[in-house]
Amino acid sequence: MRYRTNLKANTGVKMNVFTESQCQELVFAAEEAMWLTGTEFHDPESLEILRKAGCTIDGIIAHIPPHITERAIQTCQKHIVLCNSRTGERELFLEGGNAYFGSGPCTPFTRNPYTGERHRATRQSVAWATKVLDALPNIDYAMSLGIVQDVSLLVSDRHEFEQMVLNTDKPIITVCNDQYGQEDNIKMAEIIAGGEEELRNHPFICLYAEPISPGVHCIEAAQKMVYGARKGLPTIYTPCIMAGGTAPATLAGVMVQGLCESLSGLVLGQCTKEGSPFIMGGVYTVLDMGSTIFSYGAPELDLMLAGLADVAHYLKIPLFGTAGCTDTCVIDEQAGVEAALSMAMTNMSGANLNHDTGYAEYGTTSNLDLVVIADEVLGMARRLTAGIETTPETLDLKEIEKVGPGGRFEPAEPYEEPDEGTFEPKNIRHDYQARLVDRGAREIWEKAGGKTLTQVANEKVRDIIENHEPEPLEKGLAAKIRECVENAVGHVPGE
Amino acid sequence: MYRTRSLYTTAGFQVHQNIHWEMLTDDQCEAIVATTLELLERTGVEIQSEAAQKVFAEAGCFVEGSRVRIPSAKSEWALRAAPSRVTLCDRFGKRAMLLEMGQAHYGPGYTPHTYFDQTTGNERPFALADVETYGKLCQMLKDIDFAMAGGFPTDVDAEIAELEEFKVLAGATTKPILQNVKNAKQAKAIIDMAAAIKGGADKLKMDPFMALHVVTAEPLTLGADALEVITVAAEAGVPVILSNELVSGDTAPAESAGVMIVALANSIAALALSQFVCEGASFITGGFFTNNDTVNEMRPYGSPEVSLLGAGYANILRYLRIPSLGFAGATDSKCSDAQLGLESAMSTLTAGLAGNNLIIGAGIVESGVASNPALLVLVDEIACETRRIIRGVEMDEDRLARGVIEDVQPAGNYLATKHTRYYFRSEQFWPTLMNRKRLDDWVAEGSRTLGQRTQEKTEQLLASYSLPTLDEGVAGAIDGIIESAK
Amino acid sequence: MATLEDIAQAVVDGNAKKSKKLAQQLVDEGLPPLDIINQGLMGGMQEVGVQFKANVMFVPDVMAAAEAMAAGVEIVKPLIEAGDIQTLGTVYICTVKGDLHDIGKNLVVMMLEGAGFEVINAGVDVSPEKIVEDVRKYNPDIIGMSALLTTTMLHMKSTIELLQEEGLRDDVKVIIGGAPVSQDFADEIAADGYSPDAVAAADLCKRLVGAAA
Repeated sequence: MRYRTNLKANTGVKMNVFTESQCQELVFAAEEAMWLTGTEFHDPESLEILRKAGCTIDGIIAHIPPHITERAIQTCQKHIVLCNSRTGERELFLEGGNAYFGSGPCTPFTRNPYTGERHRATRQSVAWATKVLDALPNIDYAMSLGIVQDVSLLVSDRHEFEQMVLNTDKPIITVCNDQYGQEDNIKMAEIIAGGEEELRNHPFICLYAEPISPGVHCIEAAQKMVYGARKGLPTIYTPCIMAGGTAPATLAGVMVQGLCESLSGLVLGQCTKEGSPFIMGGVYTVLDMGSTIFSYGAPELDLMLAGLADVAHYLKIPLFGTAGCTDTCVIDEQAGVEAALSMAMTNMSGANLNHDTGYAEYGTTSNLDLVVIADEVLGMARRLTAGIETTPETLDLKEIEKVGPGGRFEPAEPYEEPDEGTFEPKNIRHDYQARLVDRGAREIWEKAGGKTLTQVANEKVRDIIENHEPEPLEKGLAAKIRECVENAVGHVPGE
Repeated sequence: MYRTRSLYTTAGFQVHQNIHWEMLTDDQCEAIVATTLELLERTGVEIQSEAAQKVFAEAGCFVEGSRVRIPSAKSEWALRAAPSRVTLCDRFGKRAMLLEMGQAHYGPGYTPHTYFDQTTGNERPFALADVETYGKLCQMLKDIDFAMAGGFPTDVDAEIAELEEFKVLAGATTKPILQNVKNAKQAKAIIDMAAAIKGGADKLKMDPFMALHVVTAEPLTLGADALEVITVAAEAGVPVILSNELVSGDTAPAESAGVMIVALANSIAALALSQFVCEGASFITGGFFTNNDTVNEMRPYGSPEVSLLGAGYANILRYLRIPSLGFAGATDSKCSDAQLGLESAMSTLTAGLAGNNLIIGAGIVESGVASNPALLVLVDEIACETRRIIRGVEMDEDRLARGVIEDVQPAGNYLATKHTRYYFRSEQFWPTLMNRKRLDDWVAEGSRTLGQRTQEKTEQLLASYSLPTLDEGVAGAIDGIIESAK
Repeated sequence: MATLEDIAQAVVDGNAKKSKKLAQQLVDEGLPPLDIINQGLMGGMQEVGVQFKANVMFVPDVMAAAEAMAAGVEIVKPLIEAGDIQTLGTVYICTVKGDLHDIGKNLVVMMLEGAGFEVINAGVDVSPEKIVEDVRKYNPDIIGMSALLTTTMLHMKSTIELLQEEGLRDDVKVIIGGAPVSQDFADEIAADGYSPDAVAAADLCKRLVGAAA
């Protein structure tokens, strides 16, 4: 037996874009932007909350002193757990380098998995999407993959939530039109959880708000942040910025501005209620100067996200990241390339809650074939990130010496789920079992139809839609949810 | 560009000049190396050449028949004696690749016997003309740094196929060439050809534009051919690569750390031989590692294990300061689809981040059966993206843009600032193949997939190719060498 | 001796300082002011448009060129009768009520100015009532509305309806844009056009005023 001392080991890939000094400098620069430059809050109540906390208010611009930012960084809840909606059991630990993945919200369009037609998302398309997310083994949570548009648009978010909660027991991130939508969705979540306190103690939902860059907190975003903090429910506050357009052209400048906006949301939340759970984040990418799209497939997105993960780890605040998305208009080789680069990078960076899997066509259209493919990619990325174990057991020479030069070693056991009721330690390092990628010989592949990966993924989508049964809600709850949705009152923006 | 006036400095500020990436810490590498040295000393390796056995014996190793046990001190001496850096030049003697410090370079592979036509989906035997195609593409592609045959030409005498490959590549590209050889006879002929091109053996030694590549596919075993090639290369002062082609759960342990140990034992034994023959001989090692997929009964080229094991080995070789070879840019897919994209991308990214100095394999499809030059062209683009990622995020007062943010935020935009105009070109990756067009424009341009665009680019590159050919006298000398090898 | 080619080149190079200096020189040399604007400055912008379409120049370059042109125009403008400056037309651009997103809209403004339109950038969160008031005030040829949310998209419909009610609908062309917007939606609310991006918007406006695209 060997007992080596002083052995520092990685238990997985270690990747860093920034050193701690650099993280500190970025945070200081962001604090300076929050203080000297300031950001706009279009919500009078938010301005009042900030003023009372000691910020300088100049019209609608709030100047947040650095000490208030630093206090907020200290006080926010850093250990956030998202739970199963049926059982309340812990599922996702948003902390450290744990990486979880799910889809994205709010694409105006979606591709019909049966016809390939690009149409506006509907209740049915959200229901189908959620079912797919529920069935896939590597997906950890759900987001809607579409704005429901076959209902009154002002209450589309209630319908979205209903479809999602009916079709999965995995945690849900809900993106609401405004505070009123958020109130309604929280109410529904409380009904399912069994009460306000029950939901707060075992949250299966996470709230979401987004500023308008650069540095503008519109009334809906600010109000959602405030309400979420009051309710003590995890709230993500995340800018979506592009270098050269809504953020400086330099990647370092993008980091500073994004942090300024995200941390402004943090301060608002903590000044509303100290200790409320907050998730920072962003989609930081480039403005493609040729076509002017917000690029979802750019390598800069992966790079900046990894950098943001360093800053989030430095601040010890959970991070909302981005992966599994693409700019391509058809699920081709490019979808594979961009999904692989983003998922590998994001997983290796240790970003905690990662979204936009299934975003295609530069973020305008959700695509379920892509979600299925990305699920496979994620499995591969996880295998890679888990790394190589170097313990006395794995370094033992016994087997090697027994087999000897020119000999043959035993293959690894294929992975099998442990039997119900038995205990087996979790092994994240078994050989990756391909579920979707084809490894067969050409004759076998041709005989089975010579299908592309996208075609196989599409068959799986249809199979899930037609045959998968998500864990149902407890008796009577679905009807209560329906009632809430039907009685929802929408609010016209700007009034 | 608003900035402060003082030329102040920031003391004690450590940065990552490029992205920092590691799978194994130095301590973990040390543990693996120590274990391997123990294995070499007490179990040893099979050295299947009498000449080589003699060299080991004379150097002070324990030799019993074909079993050689190398004392740790000898292994460590050899590791220190081997150069930590190897420069490969272009055909004209200009430095082209610095194999050192985790600098990653990409190129094709060499094994498939079949050519895959991406446009038609048809396959046919790989021919010498296809080697020329690969040579030309390597010449034209910006992020491909070296040439390799791309496949094995089946329309020439198998005994001298490697010589024909080298001749074609040397004529098609000025970039460095990695040349696989089967035996010492081929190695000698290739070295002679290369010397003829350079105008003398000494000139070749001074400015090597090629490296020999030889393989071992068995655990703790170096075959006679591999040993002889390494010896020939060391004597001639030409860089040689010893590559491990091992399968975890078959020719290597199922446990990843075990794969590292077995491969490293092969590598160190081979390296020791090269240093015993000629202290300071340029030596590169590495491998193509994959797993035994018992469910599909095959060895994948696109599995995450290929990347995982390759990255681990790259870390170990970096720790040892020995230039490394890795594998990426291949797929198990039988057609041009999302699988081809995702598998080639994941491996290309990982091998680059891990810092493998020479990364072969771009263009290999169908689990190693076929070769697709369009995939090489795609990997060129992915390598460019990988390099943007590796470059990381530069930070300084101007790039932090505090002053610009002050001017624009809140509610302005950065489109028109001088800061944007100055930086936007250099900060961004500029795609040539990846679609960034909106749906309407993409449809108007023919709704082409990435595969189709890549095929077009491949044809354009070949059509616009031009290169000064080899001097007639040199070409004649080369033909003579090939004739006498037949 | 400065020439019109020189000032056109200064525009292409995005050199505002040089453009201003050359404009003054050309004025001092006695060249007709309209020529300086049309052949010199506008000529430079036209070349920029060609290079932009060919993906040799990009958005920041175009913005710098526009700035250079504006710097030159500022020198020459006082010498010209207001009515003599030719523009392709006047376009009024805004982001609709309840919506504060403006980067896409600003790209359209830039492309239109570069193409030779006079543009009134009314900003964000502009109500249907304000739009009607501004139509009366500025009498634009085209109104362009932008929205980034499906909820605020609805204000595009109410704006068109209000224009109809106020008897102004036939005096003006209405075009729309933004991520959730589409041709179908434009047809549904009886807008005169939709474009998916800023370049297409400029071409659309040219078609609507009857100019060559």
